[in-house]
Amino acid sequence: MKRILATLLTLLVAMTMVFANGGSETTTAASDGPVTITLWYGAAITEAGPIPDDWVGYDILLEEHNIDLQLSTLPSNESDQDVRIQAAAAGNSLPDLFMVSRPVLTRLVDQGLVAPVDDYYALMPNRTAQQYDADSIAMTTIDGHSYGFASPGSVAMNEGLLIRKDWLDNLGLEVPTTLDELMDVMRAFTFNDPDGNGRNDTWGYGAYIESDATLKGYPGARLFPILGAFGVDGLWCFEEEDLGLNVYKPEFYEAMGFIRNMAAEGVMDPNWLTYKKDDFRAAWKQGRFGIMKEQNAAYAAEANYAPFDANFPDGEWIVIDPPVGPYGDASVGAYDQNYRIYAISQDAVDAGKAEKICELLEWMSSDEGYFLCGWGVEGVNYVLDENGVPVTGDLGDMSFSGPDGQVYTQLRNMVFYNSDTELASRYPTYTTATSGKTMSALTTLREMQSKHWTAAIGSGQMPTPNADVQRFYEQGLAEFLSGQRELTPENWQAFLDQFNAIGGAAWNEQGIEYARENGLVR
Amino acid sequence: MSKTVSKSPEIAEFSRRHNVSPSRVKVVKNASGEELLMIKPSLGREILRHKDVYLLLLIPIVFYFIFKYVPIFNAQIAFKNFRARDGVLGSQWVGFQNFIDFFNSFYFWELLRNTVFYSIGKIVISLPLSIILAIAIYECTHRVLRKVVQTLAYLPHFLSWVIMYGVLFALLSPSSGIINDIIKLFGGTPVDFLSSVKAFPWVVLLSDAWKEMGWSAIIFIAALMGIDVSLFEAAMVEGANSWQRVRYITLPSIKPVIVTVLLLKLGTILDAGFNQMYMLYSPQVYSVADIIDTWVYRQGLLQFEFSLATAVGLFKGAIGMILVLVSNKLVQRVSEGSSLF
Repeated sequence: MKRILATLLTLLVAMTMVFANGGSETTTAASDGPVTITLWYGAAITEAGPIPDDWVGYDILLEEHNIDLQLSTLPSNESDQDVRIQAAAAGNSLPDLFMVSRPVLTRLVDQGLVAPVDDYYALMPNRTAQQYDADSIAMTTIDGHSYGFASPGSVAMNEGLLIRKDWLDNLGLEVPTTLDELMDVMRAFTFNDPDGNGRNDTWGYGAYIESDATLKGYPGARLFPILGAFGVDGLWCFEEEDLGLNVYKPEFYEAMGFIRNMAAEGVMDPNWLTYKKDDFRAAWKQGRFGIMKEQNAAYAAEANYAPFDANFPDGEWIVIDPPVGPYGDASVGAYDQNYRIYAISQDAVDAGKAEKICELLEWMSSDEGYFLCGWGVEGVNYVLDENGVPVTGDLGDMSFSGPDGQVYTQLRNMVFYNSDTELASRYPTYTTATSGKTMSALTTLREMQSKHWTAAIGSGQMPTPNADVQRFYEQGLAEFLSGQRELTPENWQAFLDQFNAIGGAAWNEQGIEYARENGLVR
Repeated sequence: MSKTVSKSPEIAEFSRRHNVSPSRVKVVKNASGEELLMIKPSLGREILRHKDVYLLLLIPIVFYFIFKYVPIFNAQIAFKNFRARDGVLGSQWVGFQNFIDFFNSFYFWELLRNTVFYSIGKIVISLPLSIILAIAIYECTHRVLRKVVQTLAYLPHFLSWVIMYGVLFALLSPSSGIINDIIKLFGGTPVDFLSSVKAFPWVVLLSDAWKEMGWSAIIFIAALMGIDVSLFEAAMVEGANSWQRVRYITLPSIKPVIVTVLLLKLGTILDAGFNQMYMLYSPQVYSVADIIDTWVYRQGLLQFEFSLATAVGLFKGAIGMILVLVSNKLVQRVSEGSSLF
């Protein structure tokens, strides 16, 4: 028995030693056989499936570039993406090439898990000219070295303040231009039955908490037009005279007071503190509220507008200017340049795969790779119109936007750079099914971009606080907004004092220092 | 049955005569109390003899070995500053620093309070409800009704907390939730259950009870099935009513199972339900909703502090083990047959 126990114990220790070494399976690039490159990518259409095994790109890469590409889709939710990357990092089993957020990239650099890529831009002249400029390289630069390739992400300033024009017309109201007028309209939308259904089931403003610790902050981007009216939209202020966290500005307190009044008067959809993104989007399609900040495609793309069109054929949203606040400020919101960062693991570089990874990326930005990744195969997934813009034509389900064809474009975010061709292809003009309106998410985008925004370039690079500081910040503001804690100058100062004591002041100082060192101050 | 000193020479002689190790010789007493020597069968032979039973045991053993015992080796990163490139063995030793960081964290006492509150609250609410449900199902004589109730009670267990959140939102929404519609019908003011610090704990406790009550009742139903039916028949002959049968037969009969379940739950006292809390909580209820596991998720997983996360895991495990051992000892003293081991 003792012998058996001893054997089992030895086996246990041996096994744990083996497992403790992690699951890294990096293979060295062979001199003749194909080089395997593992790529974890962010899917372009998260609700659709992965790229099928019969994708033409696999064969082209294998036969013409000696690359055996192995793809894996990352979760659609950013925080889940971070967890997956960090879990792989903890096991020292990162893929060769992977999409990663800037905060996580910083931690991976600290751990020595990703490789500097300064020397690799020169290996991709076409792609670098198309996608990587000084700003994008700055996005991945940590301690003087670039640690990833930052491609253009979603289009900047692609959101706008929208109002139900049909409700305004029903109540004989004008488009509000100031905060006071906005408040009056919100009251009317809440208490004067703007949809005329005889029920008390509408609210003035709809929102949900969409915050982060870099650009948006708490209470988040959906309330930016209100915060912008006080000049405090965005987590950070990059102007020299007020450099630092916006929460320290006296106007932030006033903005909090305004939002608290909106909640207290009941002119906001009361679910705003508990709505998730999808609940919010379902709510405006159900006619719950008449003013909101929404993204261009989420509002105007054909599939997204269709439910609203069916529910309210006479309904009409219009993009309006952000309201002007008491000191003359107005802004739709703070914006940063959006990037998708792809990093190369140190293991991949150690295995001699770096050049092949660059070859893969350069191929993606060639004419062949760009159209194949972006729209699929010509004649099968897309056709070119008279302007050279890929369109669906009459290709049916196999078209690049059809249920069977869209999966072949899952890598498109790795090749797109928001060119006019891409936007024209992505946001075609269409006629709504029920009301027969002519709609275009591209026209909406251009209209939204024409409004006044606050530049907060570099927010994505700013230092993030630890979990306790972030919790204190968010919880404190949430308690003021929900009325759990009375919003008085004394309570506000007490909140700021404690925030400073727990680490807020250090975070602010760290951010100011980073902004100055990296030329982010305006 | 232990080997006696007086028998030692005899054992030596016995083992020599039968050519076996003295450790395989055991002393047993026969019916008249006389001590006899016999050879213990070897483990290998025992396994061979009951191979089908041991084969069944192999699956859970392999599972526990791979997923529970092998990772124990990696738990040493709780005492290190883990760097993935250096591996578990190569990372720098920092002693108890990660534990100190956790204990000194700003919200430590609040996290501990919330975690223990929800764990104990769930036991206090869910355990009696599960027992009541099990007894109700067991006592129900209408077969179809019993099956329907049983199935409906199990169903929520199989729903993820993502779906449960959707269900709860539909019920509790201050603008369109069914509960608030009823409140408004009677002239009341709608309550934002999910963002009110007063209502939120009740939402957590009651939704957990609703989701898990049916599943938890299974073990009690199984225990009820094992009660000798003749006891109930005798009680009925003696004129005992339903309540008396439950009080004097059913509950005492399943007492060991109740104690076992309670002891096992004490072992996970610092697991208050990450999935549920992660789905339901929001900044305005952090003060009553943030538990150790949600903090570990934010500080450990999202901030790449795996050593800290492991230290907290070890702390939770140690507290759980101590609680199980102490309470098991207490149960042994009060009622020996009911203890876990």
